[in-house]
Amino acid sequence: MSGHSSPMVNRRGFLAAGAAGAAALGLGGRVGPLHAAEPLKVGLLLPMSGGLAREGQSCKRGADVTPGLLADMGMPVQLMIADTETNIDTARTRAEKLIADGAQVLIGAFDSAHTLAVAQVCEQRGVPLVINIAAAPNITEQGFKTVFRNFPTAPKLVTEGLALMKDVFKITGTTPTKAVFLHNNDTFGTAMAGAVNKLFPTLDMPFPLVETIAYDGAARDLAVEVGKAKATGADLVLLVPHGDDCIRVIREMVKQRFEPKAVVSPGSPGMYETQFYKTLGKYSDYCMTNLPWINPKTAMSQALLKAFTKAYPDALFEMNIGYTFEAILIAADAARRAGSNDPKAILAALPATNIAEHVMIGGPIVFDAKGQNTNTRSATIQNFGGKPLVVLPSDVAEAKPVFPAPGWQQRG
Amino acid sequence: MSRQALALGLLLAAFALAPLVAGPYLLSVLVVVMYFAYVGQAWNIMMGFAGQLSLGHTLYVGLGAYTSAALFVHLGVPAVFGLFASVAVAALAGGIIGSLGFRFGVKGVYFALLTIAFAEFTRISFEHIPGLGGPAGLFLPVGDRSGIDLIHLRGHPLMFYYLILAMTVGIFLLCRRLVHSRLGYTWLAVREDQEAAAALGINVFRAKLYAVMLSAGLTALGGVFFAFYYNNLFPNQAFGMNRSIEIILAPIVGGLGTLFGPILGALILTPLGELITAVTEAMGFKAAGIKQLCYGLALLAIVKFLPDGVWPWIRARLGLEQDQDGKEGQ
Repeated sequence: MSGHSSPMVNRRGFLAAGAAGAAALGLGGRVGPLHAAEPLKVGLLLPMSGGLAREGQSCKRGADVTPGLLADMGMPVQLMIADTETNIDTARTRAEKLIADGAQVLIGAFDSAHTLAVAQVCEQRGVPLVINIAAAPNITEQGFKTVFRNFPTAPKLVTEGLALMKDVFKITGTTPTKAVFLHNNDTFGTAMAGAVNKLFPTLDMPFPLVETIAYDGAARDLAVEVGKAKATGADLVLLVPHGDDCIRVIREMVKQRFEPKAVVSPGSPGMYETQFYKTLGKYSDYCMTNLPWINPKTAMSQALLKAFTKAYPDALFEMNIGYTFEAILIAADAARRAGSNDPKAILAALPATNIAEHVMIGGPIVFDAKGQNTNTRSATIQNFGGKPLVVLPSDVAEAKPVFPAPGWQQRG
Repeated sequence: MSRQALALGLLLAAFALAPLVAGPYLLSVLVVVMYFAYVGQAWNIMMGFAGQLSLGHTLYVGLGAYTSAALFVHLGVPAVFGLFASVAVAALAGGIIGSLGFRFGVKGVYFALLTIAFAEFTRISFEHIPGLGGPAGLFLPVGDRSGIDLIHLRGHPLMFYYLILAMTVGIFLLCRRLVHSRLGYTWLAVREDQEAAAALGINVFRAKLYAVMLSAGLTALGGVFFAFYYNNLFPNQAFGMNRSIEIILAPIVGGLGTLFGPILGALILTPLGELITAVTEAMGFKAAGIKQLCYGLALLAIVKFLPDGVWPWIRARLGLEQDQDGKEGQ
């Protein structure tokens, strides 16, 4: 979405959005002073180095532009960013350090294991934790009183990812006859495969899954796996890559003239990333990914896009940025309603969160008794001209879904 | 009382009294210090004393962690009983790897590769065991975090602090006794010259096997601590190659084959990381990875200028005595 045309949103528009949000907040709890005396000290834990560095740095880019936007809404925040180094020991000690340094709310930590380690620190210290991204359901099943998650659980991600496919077929009037499932055999890919294979039979999908093929994401040559997929005769490819392996899969499909009606990911990174577009060019088009995404229609998301594009003109405006922004928004909003930056007051205000105007697709941000936002919603994004555009849900769509996709050689 | 004993007593007293003055952040750092001192000491038995290089030691951490955690989660077995199963499973795994390697004459770096292969094999296997959570992880119920329940290892972080302190002291005393035992001397003989040791009538196979099994079993106890402290396990973290490297850093930096080396190494490395973070942040360097860069340079400097480790250098400067094996000096 980076760089694509969007309605211009000026500061006044953003403030109006903020005011609308504040009005909505007033319904859920008491409204504090418009301008707090001191900025809220937000400790942000992200894996900015190590195995998850790419994702962590993406989140950080979103965080970098957030304080300016929130200040315009009368919610000043001071970010204290810590690198978890993709290491559970470091995540825990960094959380302690942030609290010792005065953080009044913690946000993070992208990885589920790190997040649970941080959650225990927060619970012990009575400091609220707002999870930006971490999908393990168990995190909100532990009975924590200080943990709030604005991200869908892993089963919800996969369920919605599969269900959205049915909507695509319904809208386009074309249904595939059978699908083959290709996935990276790393931890993420294996977890996704387990969830897909478990949930697929329960969702009354209009096509059978004829074969599941795992591949080594580090392998240079995926000819055998793609050849095997082609041999199934499937006209839909479900793909769960975890990095640039999706580039090798598509290249091999083009090479072998394997032309399914579409390549769809039920919720994984890869096919909406800058490198994918740059490397594959026209072959990257029409690939679909179902995952939570930034709502292109809200004033707040447009303001975020504008600030983000100005700060990072070459970076992709995607999910990590939106969820990190929203986590900080949730914390700042709770502090504003509480009229205090005291962690106890913020904790008391967080359960009453009700943010109607925000940036991710989905209903108002509200938390259930376990601290889970129940209104998160996935979208279908499809690549057009080297950009991901929302094609579903229809009410926030930027383009109509194209299915079946044109053949590899029929593209300009 | 010797000067060494006095110094160790003072160090122990400092750790024991640390919670009186240290805040939660410092205590969490000290927990990590002692954890790596503990598992480093356990690895040192195999490499430092018996000369068998293992680069897949996280295998035993993971097996110990998963065994106790699974027994606790699925059968309600208290950690204090589950740890026996953890030790048994890890020792058995070590025994199998050792038997295979030593029986077929796999030595040196090839044995190290074998240990990596088993760790990786186990990691991938655990990703396909649904009962253990697979790649989605095994989560322990966190429960009450205010009390002290040593039976189930549930409770306050301070409980975990004193637990890992006790474990570190315990393994230090055990190792001290071992190196001065008949078995310890056998290990040293095997480490220095395997053929000569065999010529003297030492059962080299058995000596090495004991080292592997004991090291594996003790490392598994570290895994039990890891599981119940963090309350979640993922195969890529419990069995990951990077964890194996973390385990061996402290004894290598502190002084391989010495009793005090793993403790000193852990005391240097973890706080060094924290110090580098604090200094770079204070200087305004906020780039991700700057710590690892400085950390790597510091490690290079230590390895370059103190190739035998920090403790042998300190010992020489202080004129402390050495035992007959040339490395011991506690």
